[in-house]
Amino acid sequence: MAFLTGVAATAFGKHPGSDAPTLMETAARTAITDAGLPLEAVDGLVCGYATTFPHLMTATVMVERLGLKPRHAHQAAVGGATGAVGILLARHLIAAGACRHVLVLGGENRLTGQSRDDAVKTLAGVGHPVHEVPLGASVPAYYALVAARHLHETGASEGDLAELAVLMRRHAADHPGAQLTKPIGVDDVMASKPVATPLKLLDCCPISDGAAAVVVSAEPGQGASIRLAGWGEAHTHQHVSEMPDDLGLGARMAASAAFERAGRTASDMRLLGLYDSFTPTLAIFLEALGFAAPGQAGPMARDGLFGRDGHFPLNLHGGLLSYGHPGVAGFLAHVVEVVRQMRGEAGTRQVKGPPPLAYCHADGGVFSSHAGFVLERTA
Amino acid sequence: MNGPMLQSCGACCRRWQFRRGACPACGSAEVSEIAASGQGTVWSVTQVMRAPLSELDVPGGYGIALVTLVEGPRIMCRAENGLAIGERVTVTIRADNLPAATRA
Ligand SMILES: [Zn+2]
Repeated sequence: MAFLTGVAATAFGKHPGSDAPTLMETAARTAITDAGLPLEAVDGLVCGYATTFPHLMTATVMVERLGLKPRHAHQAAVGGATGAVGILLARHLIAAGACRHVLVLGGENRLTGQSRDDAVKTLAGVGHPVHEVPLGASVPAYYALVAARHLHETGASEGDLAELAVLMRRHAADHPGAQLTKPIGVDDVMASKPVATPLKLLDCCPISDGAAAVVVSAEPGQGASIRLAGWGEAHTHQHVSEMPDDLGLGARMAASAAFERAGRTASDMRLLGLYDSFTPTLAIFLEALGFAAPGQAGPMARDGLFGRDGHFPLNLHGGLLSYGHPGVAGFLAHVVEVVRQMRGEAGTRQVKGPPPLAYCHADGGVFSSHAGFVLERTA
Repeated sequence: MNGPMLQSCGACCRRWQFRRGACPACGSAEVSEIAASGQGTVWSVTQVMRAPLSELDVPGGYGIALVTLVEGPRIMCRAENGLAIGERVTVTIRADNLPAATRA
């Protein structure tokens, strides 16, 4: 059994002068305190990579910096899915008896620590070095190709995708740590600068500085008990050129395994934390996982299904699209919000309930690597 | 016409683009290089308006398509402006060595 006992996220946006280890240290110490643990109780560390701190041993750097004495520590890299895979790995380490309290950590100064060109170029490198990158493709272009295909297959419109950006912005407005809080409407998204058709600037998440951390433990911590009830992964391809024809396949494989292990179905969930690098990422996940009918994610968002008072409240902190995206910490912030909501600690953003069951999911690459898990409040 | 190069499995006839030492479908090491006909269908297409490198930026952007070749694999190429999903195209290797799709 594994439980999420401690969570923390810094504000996302600009943290000029803070390097990746500094940001990670802040989130790590806050999460360990949140778990009510003394430092020496943390006996495992899974630390994400940082593009602005390309070190061979980031985990060991953080062990030294935090003063940990772990029985296991290593650096993980699965793109955007790193935090999700890290949490599953923490669960496996606990199940194997190797560790009792594993810190899953990510953070970097992706916005102020490098130029925009450098950031975009680094990210484009997930493409194939011979057959994709030389064509001038970028991460938005890879996702744009999937988005165009998704719209073609489902009949959804660019305006439908825009609804998801509007929703994330509305949620971010209620969080003091969010990077983008100025209200937007569908018209604003449609009128924003084209990046790679059909994606406009406001369909894409921003680049951010920030850090987040989650403590996974062998026993429940103080207060509400949040159990990791089911988990699943899928790795269907790396490059979009070799993506399966079924755009939702990897997401569905990971989620089905998670729901099956938890003995639950998608319809049992009362809260969602889904990776939203681009509006089509969110649309494809919502539709592939059964939270919306094909092509209906946008219209259902407009109808309030994914709002705080809706049936499947989604990314109530504003997601990557508006809370922000500093790499590995991006998805961990989704988990931080989900845990706070399940504990009933989300203040003005609190969902009624609080929700007893939640599903979290992230992808790395271009729908390449997937990890998802069900969280259950057991006390 | 010079079409893109593919690899082909001698055991199960699967064809693919990214170089490998064995077939990703059946594991056979009986792999040969073949030239694709270049005939295919647009699986998806985007017009890149903001290039990853500023030196690539051109007014109006440039097209990138994923084309499903008649031989089976889907490959990425530069796309003639205005291509739509489902259109029949011919993929050739340009002088700058990049594959490019034009209306068949
Ligand atoms: Zn074969």
